[in-house]
Amino acid sequence: MGKKNYNSENQLKAWYFLLPALLAIFVFNIYPLFRAFFMSFQKGTLINPRFAGVENYQRLLSDPVFFRALKNTAFYSFTVVPIALILSLAIAWVIFEKVKYKSFFEAIFFMPYITSTIAIGIVFRYFFNGSYGLINYLLEFFGLPRVNWLDSVSMSMPTLILFGIWTSLAFNIIILLAGFRNIEKEHYKIAKMFGANEWEIFVKITLPQLLPTLTFLLTVNLIGAFKIYTQVYALFGGQAGIAKSAMTAVFYIYDKFHVAGRPGLAMAATLVLFLLILSITFFQQLILKKVGRKG
Amino acid sequence: MKKIVTLLSLLFLTLLGIITVFPFIYMILGGLMTYREATSIPPTVIPDSFQWVNYLTVFEKAPFIQYFINTLFVSLVTTLATVLTSLFAAFALATLEFRYKKVVMVGLISLLMIPYESIIFTNYNTIARLGLLNSYTALILPFLTSIFYIYYLTNYLKSISRSFYQAAKIDGASDMEYIKKILIPMSKPALVTVGILTFISSWNSFLWPLLVTNDKKFRLLNNGLSAFTSESGSDVHLQLAAATLTILPIVLIYFIFRKEIIRGVAKNGIKG
Amino acid sequence: MIEVIGLQKTFDNGFEALKQVDFTIEKGELVCLLGPSGCGKSTMLNLIAGLLQPTDGDIRFKGESVIKTEPKDRNIGFVFQNYALYPHMTVLENIMFPLLVGDNKKKKGDAKAIAEKYMELTNIKELQNKKPGTLSGGQQQRVAITRALVQEPEVLLLDEPLSNLDARLRLKIREEIRRLVKEVGITTIFVTHDQEEALSISDKIILLEDGKIQQEDDPQNLYLEPENLFVAKFIGNPIINFLPIEVVDDGIKHASFDLPLTHFIEKRFKKSITNGKYYLGMRPEDILPSDSGPLKGKIQSVELIGRERILHFELAGERVKSIVGVENEITEGTTVTFDLAYHKVFLFSFDGERIY
Repeated sequence: MGKKNYNSENQLKAWYFLLPALLAIFVFNIYPLFRAFFMSFQKGTLINPRFAGVENYQRLLSDPVFFRALKNTAFYSFTVVPIALILSLAIAWVIFEKVKYKSFFEAIFFMPYITSTIAIGIVFRYFFNGSYGLINYLLEFFGLPRVNWLDSVSMSMPTLILFGIWTSLAFNIIILLAGFRNIEKEHYKIAKMFGANEWEIFVKITLPQLLPTLTFLLTVNLIGAFKIYTQVYALFGGQAGIAKSAMTAVFYIYDKFHVAGRPGLAMAATLVLFLLILSITFFQQLILKKVGRKG
Repeated sequence: MKKIVTLLSLLFLTLLGIITVFPFIYMILGGLMTYREATSIPPTVIPDSFQWVNYLTVFEKAPFIQYFINTLFVSLVTTLATVLTSLFAAFALATLEFRYKKVVMVGLISLLMIPYESIIFTNYNTIARLGLLNSYTALILPFLTSIFYIYYLTNYLKSISRSFYQAAKIDGASDMEYIKKILIPMSKPALVTVGILTFISSWNSFLWPLLVTNDKKFRLLNNGLSAFTSESGSDVHLQLAAATLTILPIVLIYFIFRKEIIRGVAKNGIKG
Repeated sequence: MIEVIGLQKTFDNGFEALKQVDFTIEKGELVCLLGPSGCGKSTMLNLIAGLLQPTDGDIRFKGESVIKTEPKDRNIGFVFQNYALYPHMTVLENIMFPLLVGDNKKKKGDAKAIAEKYMELTNIKELQNKKPGTLSGGQQQRVAITRALVQEPEVLLLDEPLSNLDARLRLKIREEIRRLVKEVGITTIFVTHDQEEALSISDKIILLEDGKIQQEDDPQNLYLEPENLFVAKFIGNPIINFLPIEVVDDGIKHASFDLPLTHFIEKRFKKSITNGKYYLGMRPEDILPSDSGPLKGKIQSVELIGRERILHFELAGERVKSIVGVENEITEGTTVTFDLAYHKVFLFSFDGERIY
């Protein structure tokens, strides 16, 4: 019998299994966080940083472009997320309650999630084109005025929002369908025995049971919406909308970092964004807890 | 009354279904039109004849084959690395006992909250300093593991009874033998899900490759597509063809594995 | 063969599962670790197997300490309560698995031959190409045992091997287990909470409660000579009757009866008895209807269980049971006199210690 130093409750070999992952995480997740924080207090280039104290933050808070970015980002998030969620809920409900071939529809509605945003952006640019786009053609067909979707400063955000809603449906629908499936059928049977109609069933039984799912989606979607970048790039061909009218927070950061060559400023903006997301999530959890308690 | 509701909802669903699928159909059709057809007013829906030559033109104008190979290589390596590192880490966290295990778990969960966009720029810095810009390494390195999938797999493995590991240990198996012969076969669904989703996410990545590559030799498909779009200006029909090229492999994978993909996302709210 | 010395196990959350346990198991013995849930028996088994680490104390196999040895080097076989059969492998692959991994890998051909030999022993050869999911509980159990035996270990450990089986199967399989391990000649320890199972097949029973050994004895003795109240109550079905009584001078007093101490056998007293409160323990078969006797009660219900009857009656509000043969035709509502088998009843002090 080999006598070794074995302890079933403190197996040091576990660390060998963790090592590759932990190493990668440390270098590319933990270290950057601290570095970003550090860098936000520096100015100059990447190669030649100089200490700048809170200068970056001051500059940030006095930059109208940054505020426009934040405003747009907030406007986008607080519009797209609720609308997409409600639409997704409606779609998921119809699929679950009224349709026989659920997996067929599920597969269809999930497609936007797995395809490249850039590729979809190209099609949408094509649809929204002022002259030959299908959308304007349809509007004209129904006797409505044509709209300058992509080249008008005032239309940039609305167009972006429409695009955003379209891309957000897929994920929500899948998660909601899973949520629907998790509701025990007994609840419905009992409600129907009591003579409840569809609307009552939906409000009194389905909705409360879906609350955790909806909360989860709300949180994940909000966080994702605040970080929006690729959709803007895709829709406006690399620009942040005409005359930067669709400038968003991450776009601003990217701009300052890679284009303007001011990494310190970019890091400061990153941290501000991160804190913003954190506080909104926190706030949202609080509100939902209150709603949950009342309901 | 109920019938009207049903009818309206089905109409609603069909309408939205069309709105969802139509862009894809039109992408394919538009990529087969001539320039004139693509930009015609009123818009053409079905081209007179399928202009397969568009695809040839796209390949001539930009090295899409190279982009494709790059993306395939990077995605495969990233997927393999992520699946393995996450599996090993999850194995340690779910099956082995060691001190500080809780610390690691809590640490990982808190790291999940860091948005990828906040560290992406500093990672650029790191890669730049290492002189690795414009290389496969730069594209792969930061994504050798995924905290999310470690968390996901740990939870999944926890649901597999501990007694299998204990039985294997008593049977005399080493940890690697256990992982190879018991763990992996028993967690195939989860591993397939993680693998496919990682692959898709890697295939569709955009911001990171944008930062670290601008040499056509190393460019990925998505970035190649956007570069092509800006370079080809108004050649909409070519752009649509290029877009179709880009999403085609993923759509194929999707249709084959859609059950695994949808189930994987639905079960855990995995966001790519 | 196996020595457990001063073993203690306290878990991280402070729960003391085992408090100073000592016992020895001889080679070839079939020993049962018996006790109610939470008594520490499974913990004990896991410690012997090396799946848990003791807080203090030692475990020795053939004189050598094994607490720092890995399970695979302890030369043991383990049958889990849920069998832990690898679901993606066939029965044959499951059984061959231990032979194909680890330090002493065998060639596939050899492994197969050994597997087949053991499958014949446990009568599962015709199941070899099936997957565990398609097998019944009893079949899975046999596969699990076969897999545990195939490396020819010196000790076989079974964790509640019968608890997932239905009652009929349990009776059949426990006999099979005993026959099998005796034929192979392997030292066996099994854990169960079912006292009847333990009594039926063990050479020796170690009865645990609250992390301590209550009694270590052969089954018959455990039944006839319990060392404390817990043992008396745990062993035996139906459970022993026990009534609080008081010893006053020369007699035992109870609200509804008196027993003169002269009827008790001098030799059987473990300690001298003084005035005070005690428990009188009487097994149902030791209270028998008789023409004359100290106990008297009206029969409240009669349970007919095949070849016996259980008579339920009350003494000063306490329920009492008496077991008689089925030919005895006492009915509900009758008032009956009962006599005691004084040479078989027990007296326990109020904290459970056996006095008589």
